[in-house]
Amino acid sequence: MSVLAVVAGHELLASRRLRSPRVLMSMFVAMVAAASFIGWLTQRTVSGVYRQVLADGLTAQPDPFASVAPMYFARNTVIYVVMIGTLMAAVLGVQSALRDRRAGTADLVLTRPPGVRVVLAGRLSGLAVLLAGVVGASTLASWIAISLVVGAPVSVADSFRLVAWGGVTWVLLVGFAALGMWAGLHVRRETSALVAPVVAWAVIAFVIPQLGTAARPVSLLNPVATPPQTTGVFHMLSYLTGPASITEHFKTLSTAILEGPAWGLPVGSLAVVLVFAAVMVGAVLLTPAARLRGASDD
Amino acid sequence: MTRAGVFARKELRDLGRHRIVWILGATLALAVVIAVVVASLAFRAQMADYQAYVADLASSGSAVTAAAPQLFPLQLLRGGLEYVEIIGALFAIVVGYGTIAREAARGTLPLIYTRSHGPRALVIGKLLGIAAFWAALVTVLVLVAGVTVALVGGSGLTVADAFRLAIAAAAAWVYLMFWSAVAVGLTATMRRPGTALILALGLWLAIVLIVPQIGDTMDPDNQVPGGLFKALAIAKPDELAVLAHFSHYEVTRNGLEVTSISKLFERISFGFLGIKDKYNQQSLGFVWADMYRYTWAMLALLTAGLGFAVSVTTRTRLLRKTA
Repeated sequence: MSVLAVVAGHELLASRRLRSPRVLMSMFVAMVAAASFIGWLTQRTVSGVYRQVLADGLTAQPDPFASVAPMYFARNTVIYVVMIGTLMAAVLGVQSALRDRRAGTADLVLTRPPGVRVVLAGRLSGLAVLLAGVVGASTLASWIAISLVVGAPVSVADSFRLVAWGGVTWVLLVGFAALGMWAGLHVRRETSALVAPVVAWAVIAFVIPQLGTAARPVSLLNPVATPPQTTGVFHMLSYLTGPASITEHFKTLSTAILEGPAWGLPVGSLAVVLVFAAVMVGAVLLTPAARLRGASDD
Repeated sequence: MTRAGVFARKELRDLGRHRIVWILGATLALAVVIAVVVASLAFRAQMADYQAYVADLASSGSAVTAAAPQLFPLQLLRGGLEYVEIIGALFAIVVGYGTIAREAARGTLPLIYTRSHGPRALVIGKLLGIAAFWAALVTVLVLVAGVTVALVGGSGLTVADAFRLAIAAAAAWVYLMFWSAVAVGLTATMRRPGTALILALGLWLAIVLIVPQIGDTMDPDNQVPGGLFKALAIAKPDELAVLAHFSHYEVTRNGLEVTSISKLFERISFGFLGIKDKYNQQSLGFVWADMYRYTWAMLALLTAGLGFAVSVTTRTRLLRKTA
């Protein structure tokens, strides 16, 4: 077995043993499964409201939810990826970096030939496998939940959409895990290392998109991306901040994959998510060995 | 000075020296300023659109008039309050966690307990220190927000506005104290402080983001862009009559929302600042009639949070952690 696989296997084992990130992982899978049922309950109520409005003779408009596609029920899961999944991945990344710093085992590990790049690549690979498992479990939960809600198994075409969306989700989560690991390696204090990626997440998810869209922070928790402004100062700001609105690009991409036409993939948004993950993974791999050796301060 | 007073003063001094506290405070202040600036620019863009529309009407010889958008300065604070609700709670957790974790990391707890003082003096003192810190930070945030509204929004605040702002600031203080108290209690309870921080983060996710998100998702009016009832051209009285048929669903949805202290803070601050249209330009008595239940609920949650922190932060637990 290669050294990379050994390090990855150890990372997988150690991360699975951690109780507190496991709480976040369980929360993530549970909320993804529950999201479809919440969407279904709401849609049922909206249809009931519409029927009541129609019976009272208050409207002649068609039912806005008359023909909802099964993938509509997956829509709300997108926001749970942005809210819980990314933070879970960042916490896993921080914990991975801090584990050796706490135990002081990095010195010993780095006496062996493979070198710091292989160790870091192995750790990231272990986290990537763990995240693939979590995303796989949540996608399966979503598939089962949607099948129960619509009363029939999800079609093959829609199943492919779910799997493709799972793939994009995994890329985003790997990016955030790498962000967490980078913070764990570069920030001296344990508290600051845990808080830094959360602050970065808040800036990425709220502050940057707000500059380009003029949307309020809470409205950015909508599963559908807020369109950038096309006039005035916000147009210029959206041009500048657009590439850094990673979570908004993920939402655009998710909507296109889950609900859009098969040929309508927003390439720009896909590129932003891929570049974010690649940059964060690259930043971790370029970390000098000395960073692994320093003990955390608290 | 009592022992608790000594601990409070020490806590306040420690918080002032801690770099991360300054960074977090500055981040929150910056986010509030950005939110006010963005809201002001959005209003200006709306005004420019209106003026262009009026000019078009005039040039086409139309006699139709359109109502101009009105600026209500306190409504520019909405985004800033949402930042306090989301990011502020997170920072409050870090402050509460740090107060115990710092002593544990320095190994000062055994030394503190060599002195004779009441069993709860340490935790009460620390909570008082945190309370003073949040009072100072919230005051700074209010001043920053007020000045930004005046400078960027182009509209000064009246005395009545300032009073409403003070009520919202008090609600923010209660909200932030709740989160710090919960973090103090969790950090004292857990053997490893890092675990407490992650658990507090999970709690923050559930209360600040997930529960309100479920409530929003369940709101039938949120299911169609612009609102279901607007899309169906239903007037407000008819909307209420229709929703009366779904009272159980609405009660469940509302009940879920008000279990979150974040939602309580949002409703109270939005109510008193007139951010929600129903309360805009209404008397304080009118707003209070709707808000008193939320206010009592929020105070009850703060009491529970403080009670939790004081009851679990015992000498036995704190010294066990350093063993």
